[in-house]
Amino acid sequence: MSTLTVLAAGTSGADGDVFTPPGLELFNIPPIIPGVPWFTKPVLLALLSTLIVVVFCWSAFAKPKLVPRGVQNVAEYGYMFVRDQVARPFLGKDTDRWMGLLLSIFLMVWVWNLMGVFPLVQFPVASHIAFPVVLAGSIYILKIYLGIKHQGPIGYFKNMMFPPGLPKAIYVLLAPIEFLSNLIIAPFTHAVRLFANMFAGHIILAFFSLVGFWFLFEKLTPLGAPLGVVGVAMTIAMTGFEMFIQFLQAFLFAMLAAMYIGNSLHAEH
Amino acid sequence: MSERKLRPEDDGRDFADAAWSIPSYLLSGIILYGGAGWLLSRWTGVVAFTPIGLILGVVLAIYLVYRKYGS
Repeated sequence: MSTLTVLAAGTSGADGDVFTPPGLELFNIPPIIPGVPWFTKPVLLALLSTLIVVVFCWSAFAKPKLVPRGVQNVAEYGYMFVRDQVARPFLGKDTDRWMGLLLSIFLMVWVWNLMGVFPLVQFPVASHIAFPVVLAGSIYILKIYLGIKHQGPIGYFKNMMFPPGLPKAIYVLLAPIEFLSNLIIAPFTHAVRLFANMFAGHIILAFFSLVGFWFLFEKLTPLGAPLGVVGVAMTIAMTGFEMFIQFLQAFLFAMLAAMYIGNSLHAEH
Repeated sequence: MSERKLRPEDDGRDFADAAWSIPSYLLSGIILYGGAGWLLSRWTGVVAFTPIGLILGVVLAIYLVYRKYGS
């Protein structure tokens, strides 16, 4: 835990005599190589995550055995989880065609998120909103493409905006709600849900570890020490909780992707 | 809504569909008709249009959710 506290104190300016809680400066990261502005820590971590996922899947599924051992065993648990919990409820018989995409999304987002608690790395990639926006945007484009391909350009929007079984007159009022909900709010919340969870989680972890560091090392006083102990204890507890949230958000992101794809393949009832 | 055949996997799909779509619909209704009411208020100077729009939006969204998922 000491690396965590030191790092947190190092990145968030705990200067002066007053305790300053960490804020947005946590996310304001200078480029790794001066003069290459796009190459920052989250970009490096995103590339690293891609590599991890590719190597993991490659070593697991490149030469699959009938009786799985080692990495293949672990990966098959992940595959079955995504297939049974994420894909099947929404895609039914189309599940197998989309497993490649959904498994990649799930593993990718999960590794992104895990970077938030991985010792010495400790930065959740998705806490920079550009990453979830690009991912959710890709799903959004795919969703519209599939919808138009499978339901026709008019049929897709008709099925979306005019659900059957409503009185004719009320469509004038309800179709705009459907449009806004499906085409603007849905992709927005898809990206923001992941971003906001990772963003807030990172601030919470940084805050508690800074409390621990500040009151136990920086300004050790008899009155402050118990507070520091609480800070360290909360850091440990919140790290555990955060790991749960990281898994949950990766699961939800993949699940919503499956839901959007499923709804585009078959019109809602 | 009436004559669709139920497959076993439809249960989970419908439930999750509803759970994730409802907040989106409510938000859309509020933003759309609340926003329209607010614009009307600015245009006419009658303050009452904003709350009327907001309430209309919520009511319409709830009605839509009720007709789509509530059976």
